[in-house]
Amino acid sequence: MTARTRGTTLVLCAAISFMGGVGSVGGGRALAGEEDDLQRQIDTQRSGAADLERLDELKATGDEIALLRSWLDEAWNLRAKHEYDQVREVLDRSLKQADLIRAKITTSKLRAQAAKREAALAELRAKITKTRKALADTTAKKKALEGSTQ
Amino acid sequence: MRAAIAGLLVPLLLGAGLAACATPPKPRELEAYDNLRRSSNLQEAGKKSPDLVAGAEKLSEKSHEEWQSNDLEDSRRDALMAQVKLKTALTLAEQDQLKAKIQAMSQDQAQAEEQYADVAKDLASEQEKLTLLQKYVTEKQRLSKEMTSAQQKAEAEQQRLSQELVSQQKIAAAQLSLRTAETVEASKYAKTEFSAASDMLAKADADLKQNDYAGAQASAEMAKKNADRAVEIAKPLYEQAEEANQNKARDDALARDASAITGVSVKLERRGELQRLVVVVPELFEKRKPDISPGHDSVITALADLLKKYPTYPVQVIGYTDNRGKASELLAVSAARAQVVYSALAARGVEARRLNPSGLGGEEPYVDNKTSSGRAKNNRVEIVFLYH
Repeated sequence: MTARTRGTTLVLCAAISFMGGVGSVGGGRALAGEEDDLQRQIDTQRSGAADLERLDELKATGDEIALLRSWLDEAWNLRAKHEYDQVREVLDRSLKQADLIRAKITTSKLRAQAAKREAALAELRAKITKTRKALADTTAKKKALEGSTQ
Repeated sequence: MRAAIAGLLVPLLLGAGLAACATPPKPRELEAYDNLRRSSNLQEAGKKSPDLVAGAEKLSEKSHEEWQSNDLEDSRRDALMAQVKLKTALTLAEQDQLKAKIQAMSQDQAQAEEQYADVAKDLASEQEKLTLLQKYVTEKQRLSKEMTSAQQKAEAEQQRLSQELVSQQKIAAAQLSLRTAETVEASKYAKTEFSAASDMLAKADADLKQNDYAGAQASAEMAKKNADRAVEIAKPLYEQAEEANQNKARDDALARDASAITGVSVKLERRGELQRLVVVVPELFEKRKPDISPGHDSVITALADLLKKYPTYPVQVIGYTDNRGKASELLAVSAARAQVVYSALAARGVEARRLNPSGLGGEEPYVDNKTSSGRAKNNRVEIVFLYH
Protein backbone atom coordinates (compact mmCIF):
# COMPACT_ATOMS: atom_id res chain seq x y z
CA MET A 1 0.00 0.00 0.00
CA THR A 2 1.45 3.41 -0.96
CA ALA A 3 1.63 6.44 1.31
CA ARG A 4 -1.00 8.14 -0.74
CA THR A 5 -3.40 5.18 -0.41
CA ARG A 6 -2.80 4.97 3.31
CA GLY A 7 -3.47 8.68 3.61
CA THR A 8 -6.67 8.39 1.66
CA THR A 9 -7.83 5.44 3.78
CA LEU A 10 -7.13 7.30 7.03
CA VAL A 11 -8.99 10.34 5.80
CA LEU A 12 -11.89 8.12 4.78
CA CYS A 13 -11.96 6.30 8.13
CA ALA A 14 -11.76 9.55 10.04
CA ALA A 15 -14.53 10.93 7.91
CA ILE A 16 -16.70 7.88 8.48
CA SER A 17 -16.10 7.97 12.26
CA PHE A 18 -16.72 11.64 12.33
CA MET A 19 -19.91 11.23 10.32
CA GLY A 20 -21.08 8.42 12.59
CA GLY A 21 -20.45 10.52 15.71
CA VAL A 22 -21.91 13.66 14.41
CA GLY A 23 -24.82 11.90 12.61
CA SER A 24 -26.34 10.78 15.90
CA VAL A 25 -26.38 14.36 17.10
CA GLY A 26 -28.50 14.93 13.93
CA GLY A 27 -29.69 18.06 12.39
CA GLY A 28 -29.31 19.67 8.90
CA ARG A 29 -25.87 21.00 9.71
CA ALA A 30 -24.61 17.48 10.22
CA LEU A 31 -26.10 16.31 6.92
CA ALA A 32 -24.48 19.15 5.02
CA GLY A 33 -21.12 18.33 6.57
CA GLU A 34 -21.48 14.70 5.62
CA GLU A 35 -22.34 15.59 2.01
CA ASP A 36 -19.28 17.80 1.77
CA ASP A 37 -17.14 15.11 3.27
CA LEU A 38 -18.42 12.50 0.81
CA GLN A 39 -17.85 14.92 -2.05
CA ARG A 40 -14.28 15.41 -0.90
CA GLN A 41 -13.82 11.66 -0.73
CA ILE A 42 -15.25 11.24 -4.23
CA ASP A 43 -12.96 13.99 -5.51
CA THR A 44 -9.99 12.47 -3.78
CA GLN A 45 -10.74 9.08 -5.30
CA ARG A 46 -11.25 10.59 -8.75
CA SER A 47 -7.87 12.25 -8.42
CA GLY A 48 -6.49 8.89 -7.26
CA ALA A 49 -8.01 7.23 -10.33
CA ALA A 50 -6.23 9.73 -12.57
CA ASP A 51 -2.99 9.01 -10.72
CA LEU A 52 -3.48 5.31 -11.20
CA GLU A 53 -4.08 5.80 -14.90
CA ARG A 54 -0.78 7.65 -15.15
CA LEU A 55 0.89 4.96 -13.11
CA ASP A 56 -0.37 2.27 -15.46
CA GLU A 57 2.36 2.70 -18.07
CA LEU A 58 1.57 -0.65 -19.63
CA LYS A 59 -2.15 0.09 -19.92
CA ALA A 60 -3.00 -3.16 -18.22
CA THR A 61 -5.87 -1.92 -16.10
CA GLY A 62 -7.94 0.14 -18.50
CA ASP A 63 -11.14 -1.81 -17.79
CA GLU A 64 -10.62 -1.75 -14.05
CA ILE A 65 -10.01 2.00 -14.02
CA ALA A 66 -13.09 2.52 -16.19
CA LEU A 67 -15.08 0.46 -13.71
CA LEU A 68 -13.68 2.52 -10.82
CA ARG A 69 -14.64 5.72 -12.56
CA SER A 70 -18.13 4.42 -13.23
CA TRP A 71 -18.46 3.59 -9.54
CA LEU A 72 -17.24 7.02 -8.53
CA ASP A 73 -19.83 8.51 -10.90
CA GLU A 74 -22.40 6.27 -9.27
CA ALA A 75 -21.31 7.50 -5.84
CA TRP A 76 -21.58 11.06 -7.08
CA ASN A 77 -25.11 10.45 -8.28
CA LEU A 78 -26.05 8.74 -5.04
CA ARG A 79 -24.63 11.68 -3.06
CA ALA A 80 -26.81 13.98 -5.08
CA LYS A 81 -29.78 11.82 -4.10
CA HIS A 82 -28.61 11.99 -0.47
CA GLU A 83 -28.17 8.21 -0.37
CA TYR A 84 -25.19 8.55 1.87
CA ASP A 85 -25.01 4.98 3.09
CA GLN A 86 -24.91 3.76 -0.46
CA VAL A 87 -22.33 6.38 -1.28
CA ARG A 88 -20.13 5.12 1.54
CA GLU A 89 -20.62 1.57 0.40
CA VAL A 90 -19.64 2.49 -3.20
CA LEU A 91 -16.70 4.52 -1.98
CA ASP A 92 -15.54 1.60 0.16
CA ARG A 93 -15.73 -0.70 -2.86
CA SER A 94 -13.94 1.92 -4.93
CA LEU A 95 -11.13 2.01 -2.41
CA LYS A 96 -10.77 -1.78 -2.71
CA GLN A 97 -10.93 -1.46 -6.49
CA ALA A 98 -8.10 1.08 -6.32
CA ASP A 99 -6.11 -1.42 -4.28
CA LEU A 100 -6.86 -4.06 -6.89
CA ILE A 101 -5.73 -1.71 -9.67
CA ARG A 102 -2.50 -0.95 -7.88
CA ALA A 103 -1.91 -4.66 -7.42
CA LYS A 104 -2.69 -5.27 -11.07
CA ILE A 105 -0.34 -2.48 -12.16
CA THR A 106 2.40 -3.99 -10.06
CA THR A 107 1.57 -7.41 -11.48
CA SER A 108 1.64 -6.12 -15.03
CA LYS A 109 5.03 -4.58 -14.41
CA LEU A 110 6.25 -7.83 -12.92
CA ARG A 111 4.82 -9.72 -15.89
CA ALA A 112 6.60 -7.40 -18.27
CA GLN A 113 9.76 -7.78 -16.26
CA ALA A 114 9.37 -11.58 -16.34
CA ALA A 115 8.73 -11.50 -20.08
CA LYS A 116 11.78 -9.34 -20.54
CA ARG A 117 13.86 -11.67 -18.41
CA GLU A 118 12.46 -14.66 -20.28
CA ALA A 119 13.33 -13.11 -23.60
CA ALA A 120 16.79 -12.21 -22.37
CA LEU A 121 17.25 -15.73 -21.05
CA ALA A 122 16.03 -17.24 -24.30
CA GLU A 123 18.37 -14.95 -26.19
CA LEU A 124 21.25 -15.91 -23.94
CA ARG A 125 20.43 -19.62 -24.34
CA ALA A 126 20.32 -19.15 -28.10
CA LYS A 127 23.68 -17.43 -27.87
CA ILE A 128 25.02 -20.38 -25.85
CA THR A 129 23.71 -22.84 -28.43
CA LYS A 130 25.19 -20.78 -31.24
CA THR A 131 28.51 -20.43 -29.43
CA ARG A 132 28.59 -24.16 -28.68
CA LYS A 133 28.00 -24.87 -32.34
CA ALA A 134 30.74 -22.41 -33.28
CA LEU A 135 33.01 -24.13 -30.76
CA ALA A 136 32.23 -27.55 -32.23
CA ASP A 137 32.84 -26.22 -35.75
CA THR A 138 36.10 -24.60 -34.69
CA THR A 139 37.25 -27.78 -32.96
CA ALA A 140 36.39 -29.82 -36.05
CA LYS A 141 38.24 -27.36 -38.29
CA LYS A 142 41.24 -27.43 -35.97
CA LYS A 143 41.29 -31.23 -35.93
CA ALA A 144 41.05 -31.33 -39.70
CA LEU A 145 43.93 -28.85 -39.98
CA GLU A 146 45.99 -30.78 -37.46
CA GLY A 147 45.30 -33.91 -39.46
CA SER A 148 46.43 -32.21 -42.66
CA THR A 149 49.67 -30.96 -41.11
CA GLN A 150 50.79 -34.38 -39.87
CA MET B 1 -70.35 -13.40 -16.77
CA ARG B 2 -69.00 -13.13 -13.24
CA ALA B 3 -68.21 -16.80 -13.34
CA ALA B 4 -66.31 -16.32 -16.60
CA ILE B 5 -64.29 -13.44 -15.18
CA ALA B 6 -63.57 -15.44 -12.06
CA GLY B 7 -62.49 -18.36 -14.27
CA LEU B 8 -59.95 -16.07 -16.01
CA LEU B 9 -58.63 -14.29 -12.90
CA VAL B 10 -57.90 -17.41 -10.90
CA PRO B 11 -55.21 -18.82 -13.19
CA LEU B 12 -53.71 -15.30 -13.63
CA LEU B 13 -53.44 -14.77 -9.90
CA LEU B 14 -52.01 -18.25 -9.41
CA GLY B 15 -49.42 -17.56 -12.12
CA ALA B 16 -48.47 -14.24 -10.55
CA GLY B 17 -48.15 -15.87 -7.13
CA LEU B 18 -45.93 -18.60 -8.46
CA ALA B 19 -43.82 -16.09 -10.31
CA ALA B 20 -43.35 -14.09 -7.10
CA CYS B 21 -42.25 -17.16 -5.17
CA ALA B 22 -39.73 -18.44 -7.89
CA THR B 23 -35.89 -17.73 -7.58
CA PRO B 24 -34.86 -14.79 -9.78
CA PRO B 25 -32.03 -15.24 -12.35
CA LYS B 26 -28.56 -15.26 -10.83
CA PRO B 27 -27.04 -11.78 -10.93
CA ARG B 28 -24.25 -11.23 -13.45
CA GLU B 29 -21.92 -10.07 -10.70
CA LEU B 30 -22.43 -13.27 -8.74
CA GLU B 31 -21.98 -15.36 -11.86
CA ALA B 32 -18.70 -13.51 -12.53
CA TYR B 33 -17.55 -14.16 -8.99
CA ASP B 34 -18.30 -17.87 -9.33
CA ASN B 35 -16.28 -17.89 -12.54
CA LEU B 36 -13.42 -16.22 -10.68
CA ARG B 37 -13.47 -18.93 -8.09
CA ARG B 38 -12.69 -21.47 -10.78
CA SER B 39 -9.26 -19.88 -11.23
CA SER B 40 -6.41 -22.32 -10.78
CA ASN B 41 -4.68 -19.79 -8.53
CA LEU B 42 -7.44 -19.79 -5.94
CA GLN B 43 -5.57 -22.01 -3.53
CA GLU B 44 -2.40 -19.93 -3.85
CA ALA B 45 -4.48 -16.79 -3.31
CA GLY B 46 -5.93 -18.33 -0.15
CA LYS B 47 -2.48 -18.98 1.20
CA LYS B 48 -1.13 -15.59 0.26
CA SER B 49 -4.11 -13.45 1.33
CA PRO B 50 -6.35 -15.54 3.61
CA ASP B 51 -8.21 -12.52 4.91
CA LEU B 52 -9.08 -11.26 1.47
CA VAL B 53 -10.22 -14.66 0.25
CA ALA B 54 -12.17 -15.34 3.42
CA GLY B 55 -13.80 -11.92 3.16
CA ALA B 56 -14.66 -12.55 -0.46
CA GLU B 57 -16.13 -15.94 0.37
CA LYS B 58 -18.20 -14.47 3.15
CA LEU B 59 -19.54 -11.78 0.87
CA SER B 60 -20.22 -14.39 -1.78
CA GLU B 61 -22.26 -16.48 0.61
CA LYS B 62 -24.15 -13.39 1.64
CA SER B 63 -24.72 -12.51 -1.97
CA HIS B 64 -26.06 -15.97 -2.67
CA GLU B 65 -28.41 -15.72 0.25
CA GLU B 66 -29.57 -12.30 -0.89
CA TRP B 67 -30.08 -13.62 -4.38
CA GLN B 68 -32.09 -16.53 -2.99
CA SER B 69 -34.06 -14.05 -0.93
CA ASN B 70 -34.67 -12.09 -4.07
CA ASP B 71 -32.69 -9.19 -2.66
CA LEU B 72 -30.94 -8.68 -5.92
CA GLU B 73 -29.57 -5.20 -5.37
CA ASP B 74 -27.73 -6.23 -2.22
CA SER B 75 -26.69 -9.50 -3.85
CA ARG B 76 -25.09 -7.58 -6.75
CA ARG B 77 -23.40 -5.15 -4.39
CA ASP B 78 -21.88 -7.87 -2.24
CA ALA B 79 -20.91 -9.95 -5.26
CA LEU B 80 -19.08 -6.93 -6.68
CA MET B 81 -17.19 -6.42 -3.43
CA ALA B 82 -16.42 -10.11 -3.27
CA GLN B 83 -15.15 -9.95 -6.83
CA VAL B 84 -12.85 -7.06 -6.04
CA LYS B 85 -11.44 -8.82 -3.01
CA LEU B 86 -10.95 -12.13 -4.77
CA LYS B 87 -9.44 -10.45 -7.81
CA THR B 88 -7.05 -8.61 -5.51
CA ALA B 89 -6.12 -11.85 -3.75
CA LEU B 90 -5.62 -13.60 -7.08
CA THR B 91 -3.54 -10.70 -8.37
CA LEU B 92 -1.35 -10.72 -5.27
CA ALA B 93 -0.88 -14.48 -5.67
CA GLU B 94 0.08 -13.95 -9.27
CA GLN B 95 2.53 -11.29 -8.13
CA ASP B 96 4.19 -13.82 -5.87
CA GLN B 97 4.34 -16.35 -8.66
CA LEU B 98 5.80 -13.77 -10.98
CA LYS B 99 8.35 -12.71 -8.37
CA ALA B 100 9.33 -16.33 -7.89
CA LYS B 101 9.51 -16.80 -11.62
CA ILE B 102 11.65 -13.69 -11.99
CA GLN B 103 13.93 -14.86 -9.22
CA ALA B 104 14.21 -18.31 -10.79
CA MET B 105 14.90 -16.71 -14.13
CA SER B 106 17.51 -14.48 -12.52
CA GLN B 107 19.24 -17.57 -11.23
CA ASP B 108 18.87 -19.24 -14.61
CA GLN B 109 20.21 -16.10 -16.21
CA ALA B 110 23.20 -16.06 -13.89
CA GLN B 111 23.87 -19.74 -14.61
CA ALA B 112 23.38 -19.20 -18.32
CA GLU B 113 25.71 -16.22 -18.25
CA GLU B 114 28.27 -18.35 -16.47
CA GLN B 115 27.80 -21.09 -19.04
CA TYR B 116 28.02 -18.56 -21.82
CA ALA B 117 31.18 -17.10 -20.37
CA ASP B 118 32.70 -20.59 -20.18
CA VAL B 119 31.67 -21.52 -23.70
CA ALA B 120 32.73 -18.12 -25.05
CA LYS B 121 36.07 -18.51 -23.30
CA ASP B 122 36.49 -22.01 -24.76
CA LEU B 123 35.51 -20.69 -28.17
CA ALA B 124 37.95 -17.79 -27.95
CA SER B 125 40.70 -20.16 -26.90
CA GLU B 126 39.85 -22.64 -29.66
CA GLN B 127 39.61 -19.85 -32.22
CA GLU B 128 42.97 -18.51 -31.13
CA LYS B 129 44.44 -21.98 -31.53
CA LEU B 130 42.76 -22.35 -34.89
CA THR B 131 44.06 -18.97 -36.01
CA LEU B 132 47.56 -19.92 -34.95
CA LEU B 133 47.22 -23.27 -36.65
CA GLN B 134 45.95 -21.64 -39.83
CA LYS B 135 48.82 -19.19 -39.66
CA TYR B 136 51.20 -22.08 -39.21
CA VAL B 137 49.68 -24.00 -42.11
CA THR B 138 49.70 -20.93 -44.34
CA GLU B 139 53.30 -20.19 -43.43
CA LYS B 140 54.26 -23.81 -43.97
CA GLN B 141 52.58 -23.81 -47.37
CA ARG B 142 54.28 -20.55 -48.27
CA LEU B 143 57.67 -21.84 -47.21
CA SER B 144 57.07 -25.11 -48.99
CA LYS B 145 56.11 -23.18 -52.11
CA GLU B 146 59.15 -20.97 -51.76
CA MET B 147 61.35 -23.98 -51.22
CA THR B 148 59.90 -25.74 -54.22
CA SER B 149 60.31 -22.61 -56.28
CA ALA B 150 63.88 -22.14 -55.07
CA GLN B 151 64.59 -25.80 -55.68
CA GLN B 152 63.15 -25.56 -59.17
CA LYS B 153 65.16 -22.42 -59.81
CA ALA B 154 68.28 -24.09 -58.46
CA GLU B 155 67.62 -27.16 -60.56
CA ALA B 156 67.01 -25.02 -63.62
CA GLU B 157 70.16 -23.04 -62.87
CA GLN B 158 72.07 -26.23 -62.29
CA GLN B 159 70.77 -27.63 -65.54
CA ARG B 160 71.63 -24.40 -67.30
CA LEU B 161 75.08 -24.38 -65.77
CA SER B 162 75.48 -28.02 -66.63
CA GLN B 163 74.47 -27.31 -70.20
CA GLU B 164 76.73 -24.28 -70.24
CA LEU B 165 79.57 -26.39 -68.88
CA VAL B 166 78.98 -29.11 -71.44
CA SER B 167 78.86 -26.47 -74.15
CA GLN B 168 82.05 -24.87 -72.86
CA GLN B 169 83.73 -28.26 -72.66
CA LYS B 170 82.69 -29.08 -76.19
CA ILE B 171 83.85 -25.68 -77.37
CA ALA B 172 87.12 -26.18 -75.50
CA ALA B 173 87.51 -29.58 -77.10
CA ALA B 174 86.82 -28.04 -80.49
CA GLN B 175 89.30 -25.22 -79.75
CA LEU B 176 91.89 -27.79 -78.76
CA SER B 177 91.27 -29.73 -81.93
CA LEU B 178 91.53 -26.50 -83.88
CA ARG B 179 94.79 -25.62 -82.09
CA THR B 180 96.04 -29.07 -82.91
CA ALA B 181 95.00 -28.49 -86.48
CA GLU B 182 96.88 -25.19 -86.42
CA THR B 183 99.98 -26.94 -85.14
CA VAL B 184 99.94 -29.16 -88.21
CA GLU B 185 99.16 -26.17 -90.41
CA ALA B 186 95.76 -27.52 -91.35
CA SER B 187 94.86 -24.07 -92.66
CA LYS B 188 97.37 -24.85 -95.34
CA TYR B 189 97.02 -28.60 -95.81
CA ALA B 190 93.25 -29.05 -95.08
CA LYS B 191 91.93 -25.64 -95.93
CA THR B 192 88.24 -26.62 -96.35
CA GLU B 193 87.96 -28.62 -93.15
CA PHE B 194 89.93 -26.07 -91.13
CA SER B 195 87.84 -23.21 -92.39
CA ALA B 196 84.63 -25.11 -91.66
CA ALA B 197 85.89 -25.90 -88.16
CA SER B 198 86.76 -22.23 -87.51
CA ASP B 199 83.36 -21.09 -88.73
CA MET B 200 81.53 -23.68 -86.61
CA LEU B 201 83.58 -22.72 -83.57
CA ALA B 202 82.69 -19.06 -84.05
CA LYS B 203 79.04 -20.07 -84.35
CA ALA B 204 79.33 -22.16 -81.19
CA ASP B 205 80.73 -19.15 -79.32
CA ALA B 206 77.91 -16.98 -80.58
CA ASP B 207 75.32 -19.60 -79.60
CA LEU B 208 76.84 -19.85 -76.14
CA LYS B 209 76.66 -16.09 -75.67
CA GLN B 210 72.97 -16.26 -76.55
CA ASN B 211 72.52 -19.16 -74.10
CA ASP B 212 71.59 -21.47 -76.96
CA TYR B 213 73.37 -24.39 -75.41
CA ALA B 214 71.99 -27.04 -77.74
CA GLY B 215 73.07 -24.98 -80.74
CA ALA B 216 76.45 -24.26 -79.16
CA GLN B 217 77.04 -27.94 -78.46
CA ALA B 218 76.02 -29.02 -81.94
CA SER B 219 78.23 -26.33 -83.52
CA ALA B 220 81.13 -27.22 -81.23
CA GLU B 221 80.78 -30.90 -82.09
CA MET B 222 80.77 -30.05 -85.77
CA ALA B 223 83.77 -27.77 -85.29
CA LYS B 224 85.68 -30.53 -83.49
CA LYS B 225 84.75 -33.06 -86.12
CA ASN B 226 85.99 -30.76 -88.87
CA ALA B 227 89.11 -29.85 -86.91
CA ASP B 228 89.88 -33.53 -86.25
CA ARG B 229 89.34 -34.29 -89.89
CA ALA B 230 91.61 -31.36 -90.79
CA VAL B 231 94.28 -32.74 -88.43
CA GLU B 232 93.84 -36.17 -89.96
CA ILE B 233 94.39 -34.75 -93.41
CA ALA B 234 97.04 -32.17 -92.56
CA LYS B 235 99.13 -34.11 -90.09
CA PRO B 236 100.96 -36.48 -92.45
CA LEU B 237 101.51 -33.67 -94.92
CA TYR B 238 102.69 -31.35 -92.21
CA GLU B 239 104.92 -33.97 -90.66
CA GLN B 240 106.39 -34.74 -94.02
CA ALA B 241 107.09 -31.11 -94.65
CA GLU B 242 108.33 -30.58 -91.16
CA GLU B 243 110.64 -33.53 -91.38
CA ALA B 244 111.96 -32.29 -94.67
CA ASN B 245 112.57 -28.90 -93.16
CA GLN B 246 114.29 -30.37 -90.16
CA ASN B 247 116.37 -32.65 -92.29
CA LYS B 248 117.33 -29.78 -94.48
CA ALA B 249 118.29 -27.64 -91.53
CA ARG B 250 120.27 -30.47 -90.07
CA ASP B 251 121.87 -31.19 -93.37
CA ASP B 252 122.79 -27.52 -93.68
CA ALA B 253 124.19 -27.48 -90.19
CA LEU B 254 126.12 -30.62 -90.90
CA ALA B 255 127.53 -29.14 -94.05
CA ARG B 256 128.47 -25.95 -92.17
CA ASP B 257 130.12 -27.84 -89.36
CA ALA B 258 131.92 -30.19 -91.75
CA SER B 259 133.21 -27.25 -93.77
CA ALA B 260 134.57 -25.72 -90.62
CA ILE B 261 136.96 -28.65 -90.05
CA THR B 262 140.51 -27.80 -91.14
CA GLY B 263 142.07 -30.12 -93.71
CA VAL B 264 138.87 -31.44 -95.27
CA SER B 265 136.78 -30.49 -98.19
CA VAL B 266 133.05 -30.85 -98.37
CA LYS B 267 130.84 -31.54 -101.33
CA LEU B 268 127.15 -32.19 -101.73
CA GLU B 269 126.19 -34.90 -104.16
CA ARG B 270 122.91 -36.18 -105.49
CA ARG B 271 122.59 -39.64 -106.86
CA GLY B 272 119.07 -40.27 -108.05
CA GLU B 273 116.71 -39.63 -105.13
CA LEU B 274 119.58 -39.94 -102.71
CA GLN B 275 121.51 -36.95 -101.49
CA ARG B 276 124.69 -37.10 -99.52
CA LEU B 277 127.35 -34.98 -97.96
CA VAL B 278 130.85 -36.08 -98.75
CA VAL B 279 133.65 -35.02 -96.44
CA VAL B 280 136.90 -35.61 -98.27
CA VAL B 281 140.06 -36.06 -96.16
CA PRO B 282 142.86 -35.89 -98.78
CA GLU B 283 146.53 -36.83 -98.30
CA LEU B 284 145.65 -38.91 -95.25
CA PHE B 285 147.82 -41.83 -96.25
CA GLU B 286 151.25 -42.39 -97.70
CA LYS B 287 151.44 -44.07 -101.03
CA ARG B 288 150.27 -47.72 -100.90
CA LYS B 289 150.10 -47.71 -97.10
CA PRO B 290 146.91 -48.18 -95.14
CA ASP B 291 148.03 -46.32 -91.99
CA ILE B 292 147.16 -42.74 -91.32
CA SER B 293 150.08 -40.40 -91.84
CA PRO B 294 151.28 -38.64 -88.68
CA GLY B 295 149.77 -35.22 -87.94
CA HIS B 296 146.22 -36.10 -88.84
CA ASP B 297 144.89 -36.94 -85.37
CA SER B 298 143.16 -33.61 -85.02
CA VAL B 299 141.27 -34.18 -88.27
CA ILE B 300 140.20 -37.64 -87.18
CA THR B 301 139.11 -36.27 -83.79
CA ALA B 302 137.17 -33.42 -85.45
CA LEU B 303 135.51 -35.95 -87.72
CA ALA B 304 134.64 -38.14 -84.73
CA ASP B 305 133.08 -35.07 -82.97
CA LEU B 306 131.11 -34.26 -86.10
CA LEU B 307 129.81 -37.81 -86.31
CA LYS B 308 128.82 -37.75 -82.64
CA LYS B 309 127.12 -34.36 -83.05
CA TYR B 310 124.97 -35.71 -85.86
CA PRO B 311 124.20 -39.25 -84.71
CA THR B 312 121.22 -39.95 -86.96
CA TYR B 313 122.99 -40.09 -90.28
CA PRO B 314 124.14 -43.43 -91.65
CA VAL B 315 127.77 -42.96 -92.64
CA GLN B 316 129.95 -44.65 -95.18
CA VAL B 317 133.67 -44.64 -94.65
CA ILE B 318 135.15 -45.14 -98.10
CA GLY B 319 138.85 -45.61 -98.68
CA TYR B 320 140.56 -44.54 -101.97
CA THR B 321 143.94 -44.83 -103.59
CA ASP B 322 145.63 -43.21 -106.57
CA ASN B 323 145.64 -45.15 -109.79
CA ARG B 324 149.18 -46.56 -109.59
CA GLY B 325 149.11 -50.34 -109.07
CA LYS B 326 146.98 -53.35 -109.62
CA ALA B 327 143.36 -52.76 -109.17
CA SER B 328 142.95 -55.63 -106.73
CA GLU B 329 145.79 -54.37 -104.59
CA LEU B 330 144.48 -50.83 -104.72
CA LEU B 331 141.09 -52.08 -103.65
CA ALA B 332 142.57 -54.00 -100.71
CA VAL B 333 144.59 -50.96 -99.65
CA SER B 334 141.56 -48.71 -99.91
CA ALA B 335 139.47 -51.13 -97.85
CA ALA B 336 142.21 -51.33 -95.25
CA ARG B 337 142.39 -47.55 -95.15
CA ALA B 338 138.61 -47.39 -94.61
CA GLN B 339 138.93 -49.92 -91.84
CA VAL B 340 141.71 -47.96 -90.15
CA VAL B 341 139.65 -44.77 -90.16
CA TYR B 342 136.61 -46.69 -89.01
CA SER B 343 138.59 -48.03 -86.08
CA ALA B 344 140.03 -44.62 -85.28
CA LEU B 345 136.59 -43.10 -85.23
CA ALA B 346 135.17 -45.95 -83.15
CA ALA B 347 138.09 -45.51 -80.77
CA ARG B 348 136.96 -41.87 -80.35
CA GLY B 349 133.47 -42.84 -79.27
CA VAL B 350 131.60 -42.96 -82.51
CA GLU B 351 128.97 -45.70 -82.55
CA ALA B 352 130.58 -48.34 -84.75
CA ARG B 353 127.44 -49.76 -86.21
CA ARG B 354 126.59 -46.45 -87.83
CA LEU B 355 129.78 -46.67 -89.87
CA ASN B 356 130.00 -48.73 -92.98
CA PRO B 357 133.64 -49.01 -94.13
CA SER B 358 134.44 -49.91 -97.70
CA GLY B 359 137.19 -49.42 -100.27
CA LEU B 360 136.88 -48.32 -103.84
CA GLY B 361 140.54 -48.46 -104.83
CA GLY B 362 141.46 -45.91 -107.44
CA GLU B 363 137.92 -45.38 -108.59
CA GLU B 364 136.32 -41.99 -108.56
CA PRO B 365 139.52 -39.94 -108.18
CA TYR B 366 139.13 -36.76 -106.26
CA VAL B 367 141.58 -34.91 -108.46
CA ASP B 368 143.61 -35.83 -111.55
CA ASN B 369 146.20 -38.55 -110.97
CA LYS B 370 148.61 -37.06 -113.55
CA THR B 371 150.58 -35.15 -110.98
CA SER B 372 152.18 -36.44 -107.84
CA SER B 373 150.27 -33.87 -105.75
CA GLY B 374 147.09 -35.01 -107.44
CA ARG B 375 147.84 -38.60 -106.64
CA ALA B 376 148.71 -37.70 -103.06
CA LYS B 377 145.33 -36.05 -102.73
CA ASN B 378 143.60 -39.13 -104.14
CA ASN B 379 145.08 -41.32 -101.39
CA ARG B 380 142.22 -40.34 -99.20
CA VAL B 381 139.15 -41.34 -97.17
CA GLU B 382 135.72 -39.97 -97.77
CA ILE B 383 133.22 -39.80 -94.90
CA VAL B 384 129.86 -39.91 -96.62
CA PHE B 385 126.77 -38.73 -94.67
CA LEU B 386 123.72 -40.18 -96.33
CA TYR B 387 120.80 -37.80 -96.18
CA HIS B 388 117.36 -39.09 -95.28
